[in-house]
Parts: sequence; C-alpha cells; structure tokens
Amino acid sequence: MLDLRKKPRMEAGTSPVCPSGQAGCHVPSLADLFNRVIQQSSRVHAISSDLHSEFEQYFFPSKNFLGKGKCHTYGIMTPADKENAQRLGRDQLTEVILRLLGAWEDPLSQLYHSMSQDQNQDFNHYSSNKALEISDMVHELRDGVTKVAEKMKLLGVLGNYVGYTIPETLPPSSAFYFNKKGEVTSMDHLVLLYCFRRDSNKVKNYLRILKCTTLPVLDC
Amino acid sequence: MRRDLRLALLLLLSAALESNSMSPPGKPVLLGCRSPEKETFTCWWEPGPDGGLPTTHRLYYERERLEGIHECPDYQSAGKNSCFFDKNHTSIWVDYFLTVVAFNDLGNATSDPLKMDVMEIVKPDPPENVTLLVKDIEDSPHLHVGWQRPQNTDTESGWVTIKYKLRVKQENNKKWKEYMSGTQTHFSLYSVSPGVEYSVQVRCRLDHGFWSEWSNTSHVKIPDYLQDKRPFGILVSTLCVITFIATMCILVMKRKYLKKCFLPPVPGPKITGVDFTLLKSGPTEDAINSLNQNFPLMVAWKDQMEDYLIVTENDIGLEPHPFISQKRKNRSMFSSSGFCFHSEIQSQDSRLSLNEQEKAGKRNHEIQQFVKSNKSLSGTSLSNIEQTQQCSHKQQGTIINFGITEATQQSRSHHDNTVKPLTDSGYVDIRRHEENTEEVDVKTLQYSRVKEMNSDNTLILEKENVSRPGYMDVQRQENTEGYSRVKEVEGDSMIIVQKQILSSDTYYKETGNNSIDCDLQMPRGLTGFSKVGVCAELDSGYVDTIPVTHLM
Repeated sequence: MLDLRKKPRMEAGTSPVCPSGQAGCHVPSLADLFNRVIQQSSRVHAISSDLHSEFEQYFFPSKNFLGKGKCHTYGIMTPADKENAQRLGRDQLTEVILRLLGAWEDPLSQLYHSMSQDQNQDFNHYSSNKALEISDMVHELRDGVTKVAEKMKLLGVLGNYVGYTIPETLPPSSAFYFNKKGEVTSMDHLVLLYCFRRDSNKVKNYLRILKCTTLPVLDC
Repeated sequence: MRRDLRLALLLLLSAALESNSMSPPGKPVLLGCRSPEKETFTCWWEPGPDGGLPTTHRLYYERERLEGIHECPDYQSAGKNSCFFDKNHTSIWVDYFLTVVAFNDLGNATSDPLKMDVMEIVKPDPPENVTLLVKDIEDSPHLHVGWQRPQNTDTESGWVTIKYKLRVKQENNKKWKEYMSGTQTHFSLYSVSPGVEYSVQVRCRLDHGFWSEWSNTSHVKIPDYLQDKRPFGILVSTLCVITFIATMCILVMKRKYLKKCFLPPVPGPKITGVDFTLLKSGPTEDAINSLNQNFPLMVAWKDQMEDYLIVTENDIGLEPHPFISQKRKNRSMFSSSGFCFHSEIQSQDSRLSLNEQEKAGKRNHEIQQFVKSNKSLSGTSLSNIEQTQQCSHKQQGTIINFGITEATQQSRSHHDNTVKPLTDSGYVDIRRHEENTEEVDVKTLQYSRVKEMNSDNTLILEKENVSRPGYMDVQRQENTEGYSRVKEVEGDSMIIVQKQILSSDTYYKETGNNSIDCDLQMPRGLTGFSKVGVCAELDSGYVDTIPVTHLM
C-alpha cells in the first residue's frame, strides 16, 4: 500500500505563477507543468487502487455486482481507447479531464466523512486518512490542470473557452452512492472506490495524450 | 440359464456404457484474459470433458455501454481455446462479461462468467533485443545492457508508459540481483569482475499493470584485462624477486663486513707494544717481559681490585703461596692481560707449589674452592672474561680463576679456612703458616695493622700478634671503599701498595715493623704481583691497603 503521506505534495495547484516574469521568479515551462500534473495524477491513481484493493479483500463481490451505470460519472462521455482519445482533440480532451476531476471532489470528501464516522468501525484510521489525502490531491490536481490549460491558452494551443462550458448535470453524488437512508455500508464505499479508480486512470491517460499531442514527440 | 442371464446383463451394461460415453460437454473454464499493450486483449479458456462427441466452444460477451450479447470476433489469432479482441472491439474502462459455452450434439455447457476491465489485465510482452556490451573506460570495465521496448507498445503517443527492470546473475551464483531502470532502455552495470560470465534478463510493465515475463537470458563474459598485462606483471615481479635474492646473497656473504660497518665492535684495550696473541698462548717469559716493558706504571685493570695476598710460611722455606684473589668492587674494566697475569702468577705459584707436593694438595683444593665460589662474572667485561678463563684453564689446575664478584662477602665466606671474610675496609690478608702442616688454620692467621701511611707510598705496619685473626685497621685517608693492592713486598716488613689510580703511577710503600721484604726484583707494573707471590716474606699478618685516592 502506497504511503503517499510521506511523499511531498505537488504544489502545481498552489505555486504562484509569475505575473510578469519578474526576476528570480522561475516560470515553469509547459513541459514542466505537464510533468507535474501527470505525476500527481499517477499518484492519485495509485492511492485509489490501494484503497480499492484494501476494501475488496473484505468483500467478495459477485462477478456481476457492478452492472451498468453504477458510477455517477457515467454521464460524462469519455473516449474509451487510444484512437478515440486522439481523435477528440486537445480542447475536448482538456474539457473531459476537467469535468472528471470536478465531478469527484465532492464524493471523495463525503467518502472521508463517511469513513470517519462509520459506526461499524470497518475502516481503520489509515484508510480514512488516505481518503482525506486523496480528496486533497484531487483538488490540487484540478487546479494544476486548470493552470496547464491557462498556459496552453496563452501559447495558443488551446481554445479560449475551454473549462468554461457548463458541465452536464450530474446526479448529486451523495444520492448516487449513499442513497440508502440511515446506514452507509461498506459496499457503498467499495462501489465509489471502484468508480474512482477507473476515472483516475482515465485522467492519467488523457493527460499523457494531451501532453504528447501538444508538446514535441521527443518528450514523450 | 444363469449364464445366459449374466451374458444378457453384461451386454446391456456395455450398451448402456457405450451410450453413456456420449454426453453433453462438460463445463469449460475461463482462465483469464490479457492485454499486452492496452489496445487489444485475448482471453483463454479450458474446455471441459467433451462427452465423447466433437464439441465446439463459443465465447460470448456483454459489455458496458454496449447493448446485446456479442460473440468473440476472432477465435484463431491467439491459438486454440482463445478469443482475440482487436482494437475495434476493445474498449478500456468498461466492463466485459465473458462466458464460454461448449456445444456438442447432446447438449451444451456454459462456463462461469468472468468480469474484466481491460485496464486491469495489462501485461506487456518482454523487452526485445537485449544486447550486452562490455565497455572499458579507464581500465575499469562496465557492462552496458541495452534493449528495445516490445514492438506492440505505443509510447510515442503517450498512451502507455513503460518501466523496465533487469536482473543480473554471475555464472556460478544462483542469486539474481535486480535493478530498476525506469523508462530508459539501457542500463550500465559497474560492479563487474573481469573474467566472470554474467547473465542478464529484462522485463517491463505498463503503468501499474502486471510485469511481463523475463526476456531470454543473454550471456556475456567480461574479458580478463589482466591477461594483457600479465606478461608485463610477471616480468616486473620476476625482476623484483631476482633483485631481492641477489641483495640477500650479497648481504649474507658480506655479513662480516656489514657487521663491522654497522655494528662496530667495542674496541678492546690496546696497549702499545703488547701483542695479545702472545698472551693467548700462555704465559711466557717473552710476553711477560714485553709487558713489563710496556706497562710502565699502574695497571688500569687493577683498578679497585682488592687482592688477597695470602702469604704462607712454612719450615720448608719461605715459599709463599700467595693466595691471590681478586675482588672487584666495581665493574671496572680489566684487561685480559691482567687476568693472564694472575694466571701467570698462579702458574708460577703452581710451579712453586709443585715443589712441595705435600702442601700443594690441600691448599690447591682450598684455592680451587675459593676460585669456584668467586667465579661469578659480572656482565660487563665479557671479552676479558673469556680470556680470563682461558688463562685459568691453562694452568695446571692449581689455582685460581679470578672471579669478578660483586658480592664479595658471600663468596668469601665459603672459605673460612683460607680467608677471612672481607669487609669493606681495605685489608690484605697475609697468612702465615706457623707449622709445617697442610692444615690451614684460621687462628694462625695474623694481621698487621697499618699504623700510618707515609706521604710516599709506604704503609707503616704495626706489629701485633693478635690472637684473633685480626685485621689491620686501615686508616683511610679518604673515605672510599676499596682496596689497595700490594704492589710488592720488600723485605721483611715492607709492602709496597699500589695506588689505585688508573693513570697514576704512584705507589705506596708500606713499611712497618713487619715489613715484607722481597728479594726479587721489583719491576713495575703487574709483575709486582708475581714478585710478591714469589717472595712473600711476610711473617706477620695482613697488610691492609688503603685506597688512597679516588679512582673513578
């Protein structure tokens, strides 16, 4: 199980961008920004995988437990393979990424609260701390991708309206995953983690494709 | 009857068995699926018992975001009992539900469903073209391992990120050592030993998927660089060995010379005009004469020696048998010649004593006893001791070896018969036999006391006939220990005492009522002893000698 608490946090989301190129202020290049963001997304995926496998060992879900449409981000259209992702183009790809990241901020914080308040004491402290960490990381990642988008817009490789489109309406995640009144079971957590693991993998892949389509091929 | 029934039963059973061998197929088992590059995937299954009839297997799947049940698009490409999904049929991040159905004429059988997501089944092919190069940089070899990514993976578009790992093993060792390579397709191993064969394997994985199988083993043997330099090394080492051996031989052969150079011997005393080799052969007249000539004055070796001069009288004649012993208080040097002289004296004495055989026996025995007890040599003058012993051994076994003793009293005490134990006052014991007996009676020893000492070298003796074996108390003019040697005895009551100065030539002559007179000549130097030994006219007791001056 990765212990991401020991790793330094990515600061791409919080480091100030030099407004006018002041002396002594190092302006990160687009490649640097991409690298940071991709590293962060890789870490997020790693934690989500760990959390999921941790939950999964306590449960033996049937092969068919996850039917269609179990994840709340089902409504977000995402490319399902390489060709489709490449065909999507930079603008839309960036949009998808931002949308996905935006969709998960809430559910993850709810997950943490749910885990820390769990009456059944199914989760140890370690897992609930991980949940908290993941929600912070996703937040930072989203800020980082926003900055990348800004940079790309400055460079003229991205459309100016990216990130401003009205997101598709999603069912409130609290109702989606924790729709049972009263008790929140571990199964709900497992489903959430399953869905999040998948979406974090998508984000990671999309970011890489975005980088390699934007920057020269040598960097990939 | 019964046989017929049995036969019938048997036939029925066999018919039934034959018919039972044909049955619907057994349930197949889905083994799993694998995607080598995250763009396609393959699934395998294990057929169940076929029921005796030809059975076919079909794979059906359902997919998330896809309506309906679909069949495997490709049964061939991946081999038997497999299903290959190409790019068009592969979607990532969606769930597949797979089942395999076995069909035969009698029925079918469906396997358990398998749910999978392509994201979770990624396992790449092993890396290709693993090359091993031995690179030699500044005489330290290192192994450069290079490889290529699996052909089907697409890293250019960033779709997958490959990370590599390699492991290395030495030829005799069974243990592999693993190294992470990251995303590089090469790796340098620096801890390689020449002459050893290494085996290397590489594997990879995509993102956080499964590791691939290890690549085929590549072997390489690090050339032994030392072999190139070996002849040179052998030459150098041979030369060194030869040089070393030659040096050692020279050293050994010239060791005497080297000894002389580095460890010069302590110079022995050299007395001009004296040839010590003459003395070695024993006392001869020539040697003595030469010595007499060359030793004008005091003998240095007489330094602080106390001599016992025991002169005995007997009715046979005044034939003294001086009992000379020496005691060394200090470890001062004494020459070998001195010892030889003593031996010479003793030899003379022995000659005399030989004339009186009846006396000789016991006396010599006593002397020998005395000699032996005194025969403890101090450690200093080793070379002289050697000669001393030479001198003494050359005698006819009569007399004395001069021992260098420090503890004088102990040694002397062994010989109560002969000599009184010496004190630190200077005494010269002169013994006198009153009777012509061989017994040496202590009580017959008489001592003369030195009354005074003249400015010149004379001691004036008091005549006393002390019943006890008295000592002549010596008025020491100077508060020094030691003894003065009787240089010579003159006449009846005169003893010439040697002044114990190394370099001085003065003598103290002792005169007294009981002076000892000597008929013989009195050559200077050491030979005085001989004269004393010969003449020994002293009829009184002991003559104490005083070390008049410091001798340091």
